[in-house]
Amino acid sequence: MIHSLYVPGASWLHRQPAVVKLGVLMAAGIMLFLLHHPLPLAIAAGLALVLLASARVPLARIWAQTRGLVVLIVALGGVLTLLQGWAATMMVLLRLCALMCLALAVTFTTRSADLIAACERALRPLERRGWANAAKVSLALALALRFMPEIYRRYELIREAQAARGLRAHPVRLIVPLVISVLKSADEIAEAIEARGFPPTRSQDPP
Amino acid sequence: MNIKDVVLIALFAALIAALSLVPPLPLGVVPVPITLQTLGVMLAGALLGPRRGLLAVLLYTLLWLVGLPILPGGRGGFGVLAGPTGGFLVGMIAGAFVIGALVDLLLRRGQTALRQILLYLLSCVIGGVLVVYVFGVPWLALVTGMGFAKALAGSLVFLPGDLVKAVVTSVVATRVARAWPMQLK
Repeated sequence: MIHSLYVPGASWLHRQPAVVKLGVLMAAGIMLFLLHHPLPLAIAAGLALVLLASARVPLARIWAQTRGLVVLIVALGGVLTLLQGWAATMMVLLRLCALMCLALAVTFTTRSADLIAACERALRPLERRGWANAAKVSLALALALRFMPEIYRRYELIREAQAARGLRAHPVRLIVPLVISVLKSADEIAEAIEARGFPPTRSQDPP
Repeated sequence: MNIKDVVLIALFAALIAALSLVPPLPLGVVPVPITLQTLGVMLAGALLGPRRGLLAVLLYTLLWLVGLPILPGGRGGFGVLAGPTGGFLVGMIAGAFVIGALVDLLLRRGQTALRQILLYLLSCVIGGVLVVYVFGVPWLALVTGMGFAKALAGSLVFLPGDLVKAVVTSVVATRVARAWPMQLK
């Protein structure tokens, strides 16, 4: 039911490692807020646009993600031009466009699994100090991915059951049984996981 | 953090995602149908407690950041963070923590149902609305360059809807906590 926004492909961007793309995205995010002149910002926005185009993502996929924002940008552009004049508005809009294009380029060309792996690698220094447990983080990610469609399906079941009894959809009436069913499943799942001996104890650390 | 806590965090992250994707619901008293994402975030704080609530919302945030289309309207990815509403989404992480901490502090067994609803409501308004706006409004002002006062005025349009969601969350939390009592963590 839930598919990642990743678009398979073999472009240059697709082939770069996830960590590099994330690092560049963050650096660009900071840089763009340090630029206070329309010309460099226009160049940055142009470069970002070329980068996004180089990923060869179908336009419909890009439009699905930016549709809401385009409306907002047009409205915002109108208001800002009245308030602060033309040059300042251009800077805000160019910065926003550049950031959006870069971020979309990363999202469309990187598998979710690779990004999650990059996150786990980022956790490693924390794990060494005992602040995080990579096994538990992976378990939480896997469980959340597994149960998203399941909980959505349960919500629909409850809604249909209530509709069949002539009840109109109401948030309180729908969510109370949904949340209780989730809490009940949590008990069962935790028992099932513990029964299978998770987390695995590593041979080199004492228990 | 034992296994039960990890499972609860993961399932509430999944619950928030599912509630973000269901079609907006009519409420009877309010003319506009309400979206359920904020409801899920507030429930995570109110029912799980500060630490687990924060981690559940953090996990949900991580999942849409890496590109799952689990924000309302099927959006996701880093672009959202750079956009004007990014601050509100990040504020939800802190909001869930504050709700959990307040609920832990204020709610006691044996209080009447009405009193519990009001205390949940107080926690949700402070954590789920005030804290979220504290992150969201300056972010909006920074990204758009429109200035703090105008960003605040623009955000206040959403205040009535958020307050309605806080009321619904309080009623749901009270009923769930009575049907399935749980320790907050």
